[in-house]
Amino acid sequence: MIRLVTLDAYDPKVIDRLCKVLYTAFGVGCEHAGDMPLPGGQSEPFDAQALLQALPSPRAYADDKILYLTSRKLKPRSLVSGDVPSSGFSNQNGPRALVSSAGVKDPEAGLKLIARHAMHQLGHTWELHHCLDPRCAMYPPWTLNYDAGDTFFDTFCRDKSEQKIRLAKS
Amino acid sequence: MAETVLPPPLTLAVGDRVVYPNQGVCRVTSVESKEVAGQTLTFVTMKREEDGAVVMVPEAKVRSIGLRKVAGRADVDRVFSFLRSDSDKANLDWKQRARTNVERMSQGGLMGLAEVVKGLQVLSELRPLPTKERELYDNARHLLVAELSASLSIAEVDAEDSVDVVLFPPGRERPKRTAEEFRTATGDEDGMELGEDLLGLGGEIELGGESEPEEPEAEVAAEPPPKAKAAGKAKGEKKPAAKKPAGEKKATEKKAAARKPAAKPEKKAAPKKPAPKAAAKKPAAKPAKKK
Repeated sequence: MIRLVTLDAYDPKVIDRLCKVLYTAFGVGCEHAGDMPLPGGQSEPFDAQALLQALPSPRAYADDKILYLTSRKLKPRSLVSGDVPSSGFSNQNGPRALVSSAGVKDPEAGLKLIARHAMHQLGHTWELHHCLDPRCAMYPPWTLNYDAGDTFFDTFCRDKSEQKIRLAKS
Repeated sequence: MAETVLPPPLTLAVGDRVVYPNQGVCRVTSVESKEVAGQTLTFVTMKREEDGAVVMVPEAKVRSIGLRKVAGRADVDRVFSFLRSDSDKANLDWKQRARTNVERMSQGGLMGLAEVVKGLQVLSELRPLPTKERELYDNARHLLVAELSASLSIAEVDAEDSVDVVLFPPGRERPKRTAEEFRTATGDEDGMELGEDLLGLGGEIELGGESEPEEPEAEVAAEPPPKAKAAGKAKGEKKPAAKKPAGEKKATEKKAAARKPAAKPEKKAAPKKPAPKAAAKKPAAKPAKKK
């Protein structure tokens, strides 16, 4: 089950549609688990990793994945080999993911992009690695044409995520 | 098989982090002697960090299986400089590629994993990878990321992004490659066709049925396919018919599949011979009945 937690105000229609897209993509239920205030002590642009660590978890089962959605900007991440723009964060095989819709002015119109980034971060929580197919949501999100892509997993990623979800079901 | 040079001896102690080829990063939990079939052997027990799976290896076999310590900073730097470099060597001969990649995965260390990842990534810029190679790519990437993460003491997601920032630089379009670029590197096109020697693959190399036909399909666009296919079919028709008895299922299936295309060339070459068909069938059927 994917539990969507909003950290800012969003139109309920957008949230409904996002839940539907995620349900279609992963084949597991997705529901809005409520709103949550942003933790104090941090300012915009947020460090995605630190923000995710500071956020409290809603009530959920062990196999559930929690997706936090915010409209705030995230800091570029500093890595060993260079900096990379950040639109979200999640740990491999972790229970939680964070996605920012800061680059989307109208969430209703830009839902596809938000959903694509959400799929990407949730994919990491189901141990998916980055993909070679530019159409796939698991393609590295900082690449040039990523934002023009669709809410789509290629065959390999879809099969792998289905397998992981099946194995994780308790 | 090419001889492989064994790595220098490895002394292991409890708590050491090691890399088990094709399995991932493990931690040594114990080194103890056990009596097995009257012999006293020293076993190294390791726990895979990823999922806690326990592996016991006789100390004498540690070298030969390719167990090694987690790569150091210098190795990591070399890997990143290799990933940054423009070495676009991707072998178009899928058999050679498969053999090399299997060897790299088991014996190549961290650099071997990086070579597999980069090689297949470059190849994917020419055409989509077949299923087996896509799996291999994912495994290599998983092992590479796990080792980098262990080596640099960073989260796996950071290690993966560090690799991908180099392989897929921000703001740069994915290059589109042509078969010509690879041909000059490899020098031949053997891998472009599927011959009968496909059947003679070594048992160690896992190349499923799926991956084999996909390669030529992908290259069909660049190569003249109908001739190759027709030639392949023609070979397939004659040999089983001549060598194998009609009783085997595979042979009958091939014959059944081959009858239709075979009939046309015969008609064209010798239009007056429709009768030999029936004649050819009857002798094949009669011995079978007698037996």
